[in-house]
Amino acid sequence: MSGLLQQLVVSLKLYSRNTMALVYGYVFPTIFLVAFWVLYRYDKVPLARHMGELLTIAVLGGACFGLPTTMVSERERGVWRRYRLTPVPTGYLVVSTVLARYLILISAGLLQIVIAMGIGMPLPRHPFQLWLAFTFVAFAFLGLGLVIAMLADNVPAVQALGQCLFLPMLIIGGIAVPLASLPDWAQHLSAFFPGRYAVDAIQACVTGDGLGAAGFNLGALLVIGIAGCVAGAKLFRWDAEQRFVARAGKGWVGVAILAWVAVGLAAEARGRVSIVRTAEPAETTPAAASGRTAAPFAPNPSLSPAEQAAMQAASSAPAANSTTPPASTTTAPDRTASSRGTPPAGPAATPALPPPAPATVPQPAPTPAPVASAPPSPPPAAAASASPKTWQAVTAADIDRDFIFTRLPPDEGVVTPIAPPDEVPAQEVLDELEGIRAALPTWKPGKVEDPVQRARNLLYVAAVPDIFQLPMERYVPQLVFDQLLQDIPKDDLIKILYWIGMHPMDGTDAAVDQLRPLGLGNGPSDAEQLRERTAIYAVKLLGRITGRRPAR
Amino acid sequence: MPANVRVENLRKSYGSTAAADGVSFDITAGEIFALIGPNGAGKTTTLECVIGLREPDEGRIEVCGIDARRRPHEVKQKIGAALQTSVLQDKITPREALTLFGAFYRDRDAPEALLERFSLADKADAPFDSLSGGQRQRLALALAFVNKPELVFLDEPTAGLDPQSRRELHDEIARMRNDGHTVLLTTHSLDEAEALCDRIAIIDRGRIVATGTPRELVAGSSRAAAVTFVTSQPVEAAWLASLPGVQDAECDGTSGRLRSDDARRTTAELMRLFEARGIELVALHVDKASLEEVFLDLTTRREAGA
Repeated sequence: MSGLLQQLVVSLKLYSRNTMALVYGYVFPTIFLVAFWVLYRYDKVPLARHMGELLTIAVLGGACFGLPTTMVSERERGVWRRYRLTPVPTGYLVVSTVLARYLILISAGLLQIVIAMGIGMPLPRHPFQLWLAFTFVAFAFLGLGLVIAMLADNVPAVQALGQCLFLPMLIIGGIAVPLASLPDWAQHLSAFFPGRYAVDAIQACVTGDGLGAAGFNLGALLVIGIAGCVAGAKLFRWDAEQRFVARAGKGWVGVAILAWVAVGLAAEARGRVSIVRTAEPAETTPAAASGRTAAPFAPNPSLSPAEQAAMQAASSAPAANSTTPPASTTTAPDRTASSRGTPPAGPAATPALPPPAPATVPQPAPTPAPVASAPPSPPPAAAASASPKTWQAVTAADIDRDFIFTRLPPDEGVVTPIAPPDEVPAQEVLDELEGIRAALPTWKPGKVEDPVQRARNLLYVAAVPDIFQLPMERYVPQLVFDQLLQDIPKDDLIKILYWIGMHPMDGTDAAVDQLRPLGLGNGPSDAEQLRERTAIYAVKLLGRITGRRPAR
Repeated sequence: MPANVRVENLRKSYGSTAAADGVSFDITAGEIFALIGPNGAGKTTTLECVIGLREPDEGRIEVCGIDARRRPHEVKQKIGAALQTSVLQDKITPREALTLFGAFYRDRDAPEALLERFSLADKADAPFDSLSGGQRQRLALALAFVNKPELVFLDEPTAGLDPQSRRELHDEIARMRNDGHTVLLTTHSLDEAEALCDRIAIIDRGRIVATGTPRELVAGSSRAAAVTFVTSQPVEAAWLASLPGVQDAECDGTSGRLRSDDARRTTAELMRLFEARGIELVALHVDKASLEEVFLDLTTRREAGA
C-alpha cells in the first residue's frame, strides 16, 4: 500500500516538475476559459453557462493527452518494465497512475472554477454533485486515455490519436461549439461521443437542477469509462518493444468503440439527441420541470393560449374588425391548406399563402432575406402604386400580396428562433426572462409616442439576443409579442407590423443602446442585420396574429 | 551448496521463433554465473523468464526454493535486477527513485546507505536527466539492491560504459560475491565472463550448448590445440602431415604451425622427427583453445550443421 501511495506522490511530484505538462494541464484550459469569456461576453452571468464545456475541455486534455503521453513515454523509457520487476502487481500501479491524474484533473477543474468565480460567476448551484459529475466525466475520459496509451506505440502516436478524438469532440461533439449551432446530422453524430454527456452532466450541477435529471448522462459516462478501462486493461503492455499490431487481443479496442455506439444508439432511441429536447429535462423529469419552473414562468403558458385566442379572433371574426377588409376570411382555410397541402373547398380559397404570390407582386421574392419583400432603402411604397402610403392605410390585401409567410425562417432555426409555448427554459434563462418581463412595461423606448417606433423598439429587444445568440433568444420574442399585443390595439398592430416588415430601415435604432434596464448589454454594431432580424420578427408576429402563419 | 536457481526445460516462443528452446541450468548459492551468447541467442529472454518479466510457454523455474511461475511475487521480494535500458523519468532524483522502489518491498535498505554505497551521494537530489551514463548505471544497480536481495540479476551490465565505469562495476560485482550474493549476469564480453564469473553457460539459438567454469569449458573443448615452432633449418609441410593427429600444417621456411587433436603426442612425434633429421628446434608453443575459440566453435558449428 505504501508503495502505491509513494508512486502516487512521485507521479504528482514529477508532474509538477514538467513545465509542458503544467502548461497543458492548467494554462491551456484557462485559455479556453478566457476565450469563452470574450466570446460570450453578452452573457449576464459570466461563464456560468459554459462551465460544462470548460471543465470538459480540461478533463479531455488531461485524459486524452496528459495520461497517455506520460504512460507511453514511461513505457518507452523502460520505467514500466522496471516497475514489473517489483512484487507490486502492475494493475495497482496503473490505478495509482490514473488516480494521480484524477487529482491533477480535480486541481485543474478547481482552478477553472476559481478563475470563473473571480470573473463574476456565482458558486455552482450543486457543488457536491458537481464533484460527482466531474468524477464521472474524469472516469470516462481517463478510460479513453488508457485505451489511447495502449494503442499508441510512441508519444507522437499519442498526439495523433488524441487529436483524432479531441478535435471532433470539440467541434461536432458539443463541447466548444454549442449543439444548437450545429446542423442536425452533427447533433446526431455528437450523441455517439462522450463529450456532450460530460457537458450536460456538469452543466446541470453548475446552473441546472443537479444530477437528478442527469441519470442518462451519468450512465453514458459510466459505460464509456468502464469499456475504456476494460479495453485498456486487456490491451495493457508494459514493454515498448511489443508493438500494437503484433499484439493479441486487438479486438478489445472494439469494446471501447462498441460502448460509444451503444450509448449513441440508446440516446437516439430515447429521443435525447435533438437539442431542443435536451435543452432542459422537460420530458425526462416532468415532476422536476413542472414543479419548479412552471411557477415563476406563469405568464408564458397563460399567454400562448391568449395568443391562440387572438389568432382565432383574427381569423374567424373579420367582420368585427372594421379596418380589416373581408379578404381576411381566407386565413382560416389557409391554415388548413398550408398544413394539408391541398386547398379545401372553402368559401374563398384565394391563394394567399402558397408561393409564388400572384403576378401582381411588384417585386421578385428576394432570396436571402426571407421577408418576402424587402427592398432595402428606397421606399417601395413610392415605386409600387399598390403599396399603401402610410401604415394606417395598410389592408389585408397588402399583407397577402407582399409577404410569403411560408418562406420565413423556421422558428426552431438559428435565425429569429421562437420557442414553442410549451418549452420550458433552463433556470438561469428563466431568471433573465423574468427580469425582462418585469422591466419591459416601463422600458422608456417602449413608451415613445409614435406607435411604429414603439413597436420597432420592442422588436429590437427580441432581435438583439438573436444576433448575439444568447441562450434567451428563443424565449424573448414571446415576451415582446405579449408586450406589443398589450400595448397596441391589434388592428393597428397588424398594420404596424406590416409596415415594419416592408420598411425595415425606417425610423431609429437608438433604442438598442438603452437595453441595460432589461439586463442586456449594448446592441450590435451591424445595424443592417439588426433591422433585418427585427423585420423578420415583425412579419412572424404578423403571421401569428392574423393566423397566416400559426405558431405551430 | 543448494541450488539457488534451477531452470529446467524452459521454452518461450515469439510467433514461430523459439527464443528459449529447452534451456536448463542450475546456479549454486553464492556463485557468480554468466549467460553468454551471440545476439538473439535467447540470453535476455531466459533471464526475463527467470525474473518474472515474461511468462514462459513451458518449463520449471525455481528461485530460492520458490516456484517462480506459481508465486512470482514471492520471488520478486527476494531478487534484485538491473536491466538494459533502464531509463527513469527525466525529473526523478536518485533519492526519490530509491525511496519509491524501496516502498514496493517488505524488506528494504535505506536510500542513504545505497546512495553512499553506489557513490551517488552527491547526486542524490539531481534529476535523472542530468546524470551521466555511469551514474545512471550505478543507480540501476542501487535499485537492484533496494530490497536487500539474495539474488541479483544483471542484464548486460557493462554495455555502453566507459572503461573507468566498467572497472568500477567489475569491482562492485566482485564485492557482491564477497558479500555472499548470488549473481546471474548476461554479457557479450568473454573477457568479462572469464574475469568475473565462477561458472558460465553458453547459450545459442535458445539452447544451452555448454556449462562450466571457464577452465572446464576450454579443457573440455574438442577444439585442436595450436602448435607453432621455429627451427634452425627449413622444414617441409609434407613431413608434418604424416604425424599423428595433425591438421592444417603449414611451413614457411624455418617457422611453421599446425593444429592437433592430441597436442602431447603430436609434440613428442615432432621432436622425434626433428631429431631424426638433425634439425634444431629454436622455439615451440602449444596453445590450448581460448575461451573465445570455444565460444565461436560452439556457436558457429551449430550454424554450419543447421
